[in-house]
Amino acid sequence: MAQRGRNVAGYVFISPWLIGFLLLTLWPIAQSFYLSFTDYSMLADPVWTGLANYRHMFGDDDSFTKSLKVTFTFVLFSVPLKLFFSLMVAMLLAKNLRGMNVYRTLIYFPSLIGGSIAVSVLWRNMFGADGYINAILAWFGIAGKGWISSPDTALGTLILLNTWQFGSTMVIFLAGLKQVPQELYEAAAVDGAGSFRRFFRITLPMLSPVMFFNLVLGIINSFQMFTAAFVITKGGPVQSTYVYAMFLYEKAFKHFQMGYASALAWVLLAIVAALTAINFLVSRYWVFYEAEGGREG
Amino acid sequence: MTVRRSKWVVHLVLIVFSLLMIYPVIWWLGASLKPLDEMRLPAIWPSKPMWSNYSDGWHFSDQYSFAHFFSNTLLMEVGNVFGSVLTAALVAYGFARLNFKLRGMWFGILLLTMMLPTQVTIIPQYILYNSVGLVNSYVPLVLPHFFGGGAFFIFLIVQFIRGIPRDLDEAATIDGASVYGIFWRVVLPLVKPALVTVAIFTFIWSWDDFFAQILYLSSVEKFTVALALRMFIDQFEIQWGQLLAMSLLSVVPSALMFFFAQKHFVSGIATTGLKG
Amino acid sequence: MMMRKGSKFWALLAFAALLTLAGCGGSGGNGGNGGNAGSGNASPSASPSGGSSEAPSSGDGKAPAASVKLGIMWWGADDRHEATLKALDLYSKQHPGTTFAPDYMAWDGYWQKLPALAASKTVPDILQMDAAYIQDYVAKGVLEDLSDLDLGGIVDPAVIDNLKIDGKLYGIPLSQNAQGIAFNKPALEAAGISLPQKNWTWDDYFAFAREARQKLPKGKYGIGDASSAWDWYNWYQTGNGGKPLMGDNGKTFTLDKDLFVKYQQTFADLRKEQAVPPPDKSLSFVENDPSADPMASGVVMTRGATTGSVAALYTLMPDQVDVVGIPTGPAGGGWAQSTIFLSVSANSQHKEEAKAFLKWFITDPDAGQTLKMTRGIPINPDIFKQLEPTMEPKDLIGKKIYDMSVEKALPFYSIAQGFTEWVDTYKSTMEGVMFGQTSIEDAYDKLNKLGQQIAAKNA
Repeated sequence: MAQRGRNVAGYVFISPWLIGFLLLTLWPIAQSFYLSFTDYSMLADPVWTGLANYRHMFGDDDSFTKSLKVTFTFVLFSVPLKLFFSLMVAMLLAKNLRGMNVYRTLIYFPSLIGGSIAVSVLWRNMFGADGYINAILAWFGIAGKGWISSPDTALGTLILLNTWQFGSTMVIFLAGLKQVPQELYEAAAVDGAGSFRRFFRITLPMLSPVMFFNLVLGIINSFQMFTAAFVITKGGPVQSTYVYAMFLYEKAFKHFQMGYASALAWVLLAIVAALTAINFLVSRYWVFYEAEGGREG
Repeated sequence: MTVRRSKWVVHLVLIVFSLLMIYPVIWWLGASLKPLDEMRLPAIWPSKPMWSNYSDGWHFSDQYSFAHFFSNTLLMEVGNVFGSVLTAALVAYGFARLNFKLRGMWFGILLLTMMLPTQVTIIPQYILYNSVGLVNSYVPLVLPHFFGGGAFFIFLIVQFIRGIPRDLDEAATIDGASVYGIFWRVVLPLVKPALVTVAIFTFIWSWDDFFAQILYLSSVEKFTVALALRMFIDQFEIQWGQLLAMSLLSVVPSALMFFFAQKHFVSGIATTGLKG
Repeated sequence: MMMRKGSKFWALLAFAALLTLAGCGGSGGNGGNGGNAGSGNASPSASPSGGSSEAPSSGDGKAPAASVKLGIMWWGADDRHEATLKALDLYSKQHPGTTFAPDYMAWDGYWQKLPALAASKTVPDILQMDAAYIQDYVAKGVLEDLSDLDLGGIVDPAVIDNLKIDGKLYGIPLSQNAQGIAFNKPALEAAGISLPQKNWTWDDYFAFAREARQKLPKGKYGIGDASSAWDWYNWYQTGNGGKPLMGDNGKTFTLDKDLFVKYQQTFADLRKEQAVPPPDKSLSFVENDPSADPMASGVVMTRGATTGSVAALYTLMPDQVDVVGIPTGPAGGGWAQSTIFLSVSANSQHKEEAKAFLKWFITDPDAGQTLKMTRGIPINPDIFKQLEPTMEPKDLIGKKIYDMSVEKALPFYSIAQGFTEWVDTYKSTMEGVMFGQTSIEDAYDKLNKLGQQIAAKNA
């Protein structure tokens, strides 16, 4: 097909997104960029302040540094944990067994209650001072504590919560696993390959595009983690769960500093975009696209 | 013998694991049946289940029952799911298979739109919708789903399409199929599992998108379940029993949706497609 | 201004696209119920001002020419919603031609939504306001000056004077509120601890904590750890004759070093003596949560409560709650005044009608009978007398807090504009002190510096 025809076809296919982007998304994004150079309370018109927001952020705002640190810690632990855990579960749930649809639904259930208010009550009942975790520890004679309300463990409980809600990542793995051609496994079985070998030689490479997706999105979403910190810990104690998105939200809607919040958002975008770009560059060495003929051979 | 035994081991593992995952939800069910004075007791089940939490919660308002809020939400969901599924695959195919001018740039922009926290775009967006008179309606909630369903889903399907062997496209091209034909006959059937996940996630995620819903829906007549649930939480007083009962009910549609949709994303269509 | 121009252009473009889309969607949609979203809202967009007052075309055809539709917005629980809707109906019946576009929700959503309405200049004509937020909204010019509204004989002029911001009144007070302390009477009596007395002092309060430590079993406490609550410290500072933290609507800031160190050191000592809960316990309390409320869970014998909020605690532990005022110093203690208001939007097209409604809302006997106690103890003494016989125990206990506090009450100090950030910093910094990560001296330096900065910005 001629390049011209391909251009037309390409734009025809992406037109739903492109139109939506130009009409609904572009203006708010451009606005937030403009607002990041202003003092904007939302209650009154914005006032241009140049680089003041950025200067304050990198100059003397302790909360900025603190929330960045908290967020990086969260991402560093929660992304790999969730990826590993959800891949293992997906492998288990990909088997053809009687009653599997019930198991899948039960195991997926915690992910359904993600943003619900009930989740904060739930989590307090697990990790609170009088929670179940402490009751179990007491059997072994270990004195528990308020895991959510201690600065050194609060973030850990949120990482656990995030891992517990692995459902969507797992479902994407599951769909990916089902896309792996069975013939490959059959051929490998004929060759006498064991299950470990099959996992590393077939499953992992064939799953790598999906793995890549989950990794990229896991990083993007973890950097914006908000709900759990907002509902359960309110960012405390001693700002130990003061994640970036929580900081940003408070600046915008509690302190009425939408201009500063916009600046924070654009800095976050720069950080996440840089990490994503690195991810894409590195992906050449490990992601296997059948379509492109398979660089790994 | 060994096959059968290993099967039982898998079942056992699955049962234990399911119980572990679902345990808090059982606690939740118990709590939703407790009277206020039993709420602080560690016992998982109330001495006398208070089913009135469910009936009173359902009819908490004189004006509308939860049936009204559920039907509002489901109606919105139909639009959302339809829009996402319809357009996400189209856009993804364009990005994954067609080599058009500026493709890289547009794809980069697509990804960037996911990285800017919505907290800072939601106010300008509200001003935009307000200036065309579309606030207090479902349009701002549903319409975005018709534009590719969002970067997440487009990127997801792009990754799935990139996993489909190009030989299939080429074979179809030799048979005289156009790019549109290839999309319709080759790619679309093969990404069906991914499309089902798009449907599930769209449904579940737009179910409790509280912030957007509270901004765009003003009259209680149009309230969704997520908004109605917040009516139990006032500044000081929270109707705990009714709140827990109704929020447990509120996840039931999503759970049912998942239960019935899952056989489609695990049906192994990809394999049969490959052979054909 | 730049925003407006841009928004018009994009709005037009978006609108054109939507029309096209709607056209593609087929004509079927407009016939049925689904059309109400589109058709009802399409018309106001033609008039550029938009605003909250919609064209009165909908519905009643025989409305007089001067018909007005007032937008009104409030937060609350369901009983408040239903009572208010009835009151609005009543007003429309008494004043033909005035109708309402009500918008009501719970507390959290209300304060998330209001900024969006302010940003798009569509704040409804009448809106409920809280003392915690009113200063920010006034400072940004969102609210209309109501000083010329004559409330003589309805509200005590001293109360009105107290509520003025820079000499002007921006909200009509709706109910009496006061700060006090709730205590678990049967538990204290059972342990043989002397009960808190009216007008007790801060020394009495700390002595009470130590007495309770001796007489209560391990794991139970007389008082909670109030190190990280800025308002408690503010009561301490002002009660002991100091200036309020935020003075002159946020233009001055005073953190008295001696008082601050003394107060925080007292709590540090109490923590050491285990007369207050350990920090991880203190920070896990959630007020009014049946299993995590400090008092309802049985862990702490006392906690702060207001006239407006004590009913929630009373529901959790019926017949166990009694109340007393905030500890006093030489200058007094606590506060007693209204904290919930009705305001009028500065952008309203119907200010006079809105003001007339406000006055009616707190004076009309039928309105009072309809609204009952859904916004607390009515500010208007006549209405209160009319309702007094119907008060329930949970209302009476709120009234008792007011009566306990009013004699020694100091002014109510709300968070001044721009100081929400300081309040949050106070909390996290003092949490650091509670866990021993920060010294009291360092905390003082940090908080004083930030407070001075914000005050300088406001001046």
